Amino acid sequence: MNARGYEGVVLCCPVTEPYVRRSEHGAAWFLARSFRRLLDASGVAKTEVDGLCVSSFTLHPDTAVAFTQQIGLSPRLLEWLPMGGACGIIALRRAARAVQAGDAEIVACLAGDTANETSFRDLLANFSTAARDAVYSHGAGGPNMSFALIADAYMRATGATRADFGKLAVAQRANARRNPLALLRGPMSMEDFMAARPIAEPLHLLDCVMPCAGGDGFLVMAETRARTLGIPYVRVLGTIERHNAFPYDPVQIRGGWVMDRDALWNQAGVAPSDMDVVQTYDDYPVISMLQFEGLGFCPDGAGPDFVRRNDFTIDGNFPHNTSGGQLSMGQAGAAGGYLGLVEAIRQLSRMAEGRQVPNVRHALAGGFGMINYDRGVCSAAAVLGLS
Amino acid sequence: MIRLQHCSDCRTVRYPASEFCGVCLSDQTIWDSADSLPGVVVARTLLHHSNEPSFRERLPFVCGLVRFAAGPVAICFLDDTAKVGGAVRVRTGPDGLLIAAPE
Repeated sequence: MNARGYEGVVLCCPVTEPYVRRSEHGAAWFLARSFRRLLDASGVAKTEVDGLCVSSFTLHPDTAVAFTQQIGLSPRLLEWLPMGGACGIIALRRAARAVQAGDAEIVACLAGDTANETSFRDLLANFSTAARDAVYSHGAGGPNMSFALIADAYMRATGATRADFGKLAVAQRANARRNPLALLRGPMSMEDFMAARPIAEPLHLLDCVMPCAGGDGFLVMAETRARTLGIPYVRVLGTIERHNAFPYDPVQIRGGWVMDRDALWNQAGVAPSDMDVVQTYDDYPVISMLQFEGLGFCPDGAGPDFVRRNDFTIDGNFPHNTSGGQLSMGQAGAAGGYLGLVEAIRQLSRMAEGRQVPNVRHALAGGFGMINYDRGVCSAAAVLGLS
Repeated sequence: MIRLQHCSDCRTVRYPASEFCGVCLSDQTIWDSADSLPGVVVARTLLHHSNEPSFRERLPFVCGLVRFAAGPVAICFLDDTAKVGGAVRVRTGPDGLLIAAPE
């Protein structure tokens, strides 16, 4: 069955509460600051926002429910979306359908997290029942260990090398150097990447995102409303999400995108080759490569060849993670699930300033998240366009 | 000694332990015990960093993903000599954690 399109609904006002390595503030502060930025950017009054999507890892014990009281909002639609790296696209999906159906008129989509000495460790130790019982107890490697196992399997299956991962990371650092919002803006060469200290082999330091604090957000509303407000907006051409795909693969060498990519491109009415910018979820470069394959940019298993044949910098033939991605901006918890989508909206809205790719008409954002046990459970993608 | 659950109704072997079967949703469970169980190493990593101080003094050490012959996969401490694709026996150490080593 084909999903309906998203006619009449648009995304606008990509905002970022600047990332910081550590913060004394709570997660709600980052969410509230991001919300304030949405109001300032749109000219919408707080009372006009009648829908809210919230994602955060460190808001605990609160959820989106508490946050409505904290920001003094009385929405008629509220979504709490604890889907990590897939939460931005899932928020987009929930919000867009709510606006289409008339359940809300203006939906604020927010993700934010704080970071301090203990928050990251606490999160890892109690990330899920399976992680607590069967993973963290075996060495406490956290996501680095989980993704090291996925990277090891991927390298064996496809012939990918560390240099392939490095090519993506180095290109993203070059992109980040043009983005004042990126936390990691120092120069990085392939030699730097290869020489970085090992963390969980085959992963070394520069394969791994740096945890940080920050927030991201965007608004979803009717196109007519955005026009009245006089703000730039982008259209949603197609979206997918999938959870717990391929549960019998002994190790994750493909994500759920493989199940849904045909539906995505059919709904969008465009092809991978039409994408002017691609923002993959990049907590580790191997996951970007799974998206190149899973979303049809190259054949399954051909990720390494694809990486070797393309230039992923802003000025290259395949502009990828043009903000620097999480690898250079930092991973502000659940905001990592918004970063790529927010950058896609910025690029389409001509708001990417010193890193703007010229003539962007179509963009893809990928989402991936939640190592519940041995693999990322959630995958998502969105194709956005100007027309 | 190592213990694994299987479903009384559909016989599916599961790990980590759960109160119900993810295949048929039965909550009827049997525990099987053995000195060790056969498996194959699916992926491995040499850990140089741990988030818990108690593990740090032992670094670096090898962890891996092992697929039990009975079906499910488990994160284990791996013997240094265990190779990906190689046969291992999995047993539970004194701390209750899984250790895999070549036969």
